[in-house]
Amino acid sequence: MARLGNPTSSINANMTPMIDVTFLLIVFFVVVSQIVDRDVVPMDLPSPNHASSGMPESLEHVTVNLVPLDGGEIAGIVVSGHAIAADAMDELAAIVNTRLQGGATDIHIRADRATKYSHVHNVIEAIREIGMTPRLQLVVSGDER
Amino acid sequence: MIGLNLTSMIDVVFLLLIYFMVATEFKTAEESFPMDVPMRNHGQIITLDHEPLVILVESAGMGMEDLRIRLEGPWDPVGTLDALSSFLRSNKASGFGSSGLFAESHPIFIKPTNNTRWEHAIAAYNIVVNENYTNITLDEPS
Repeated sequence: MARLGNPTSSINANMTPMIDVTFLLIVFFVVVSQIVDRDVVPMDLPSPNHASSGMPESLEHVTVNLVPLDGGEIAGIVVSGHAIAADAMDELAAIVNTRLQGGATDIHIRADRATKYSHVHNVIEAIREIGMTPRLQLVVSGDER
Repeated sequence: MIGLNLTSMIDVVFLLLIYFMVATEFKTAEESFPMDVPMRNHGQIITLDHEPLVILVESAGMGMEDLRIRLEGPWDPVGTLDALSSFLRSNKASGFGSSGLFAESHPIFIKPTNNTRWEHAIAAYNIVVNENYTNITLDEPS
């Protein structure tokens, strides 16, 4: 039986566009992975209907997370990556004060939708006691619009 | 003819690609309400130009329909967010000669209880912001 075609020829995939696309994907993931805010603790933020909240300005800021527990209580506070006890308001004030003196202007307060107001109020009071006048940003979910 | 061996490079590139695909976490969309924090003046009595409007916020349950609102003072009762919104809109002073009671900069204190859910406090705050009032404070729990 006669063979069709030239027995010495081989079929090669053209690698150039595949490498182009692969490099583009790598660049995309490198860029995207750098914008993740490591200070943020995952939680179920409030999402009010017809919210008139806005995107927070990307200024130097301190993030205060009230880590939620069941029943509206909090397990602790994570401020700028430091985990402290739920009632360690002096420690919270010290960390926030250091960050404010280092140039931070805004304080982002993140609390779960079920957290009791008394816990949030304690944090606000601790910040107020520092004696500076930062701007608070009460963080809400931007998803459900 | 001198050619580059692409096999090892493609191996490394694909490993990098898989690493970044697995390790990347996308930041969820977040927004915020700005609020100024005035300094506390220990021992000094501050007289406000206007009597603040105090909005009491309570949670009777977990849903948004379980939010209870009352106004401190001689106002008609408002129970829901919609009623609060109507009250704020109808009593807003919109300019010279307006019969509204509250100017945009009128002090408004939102006073949740100790056990009020944070989402309910924020919902009340949002209604006041929606009506374009600018001097809003989250007050001590009632």
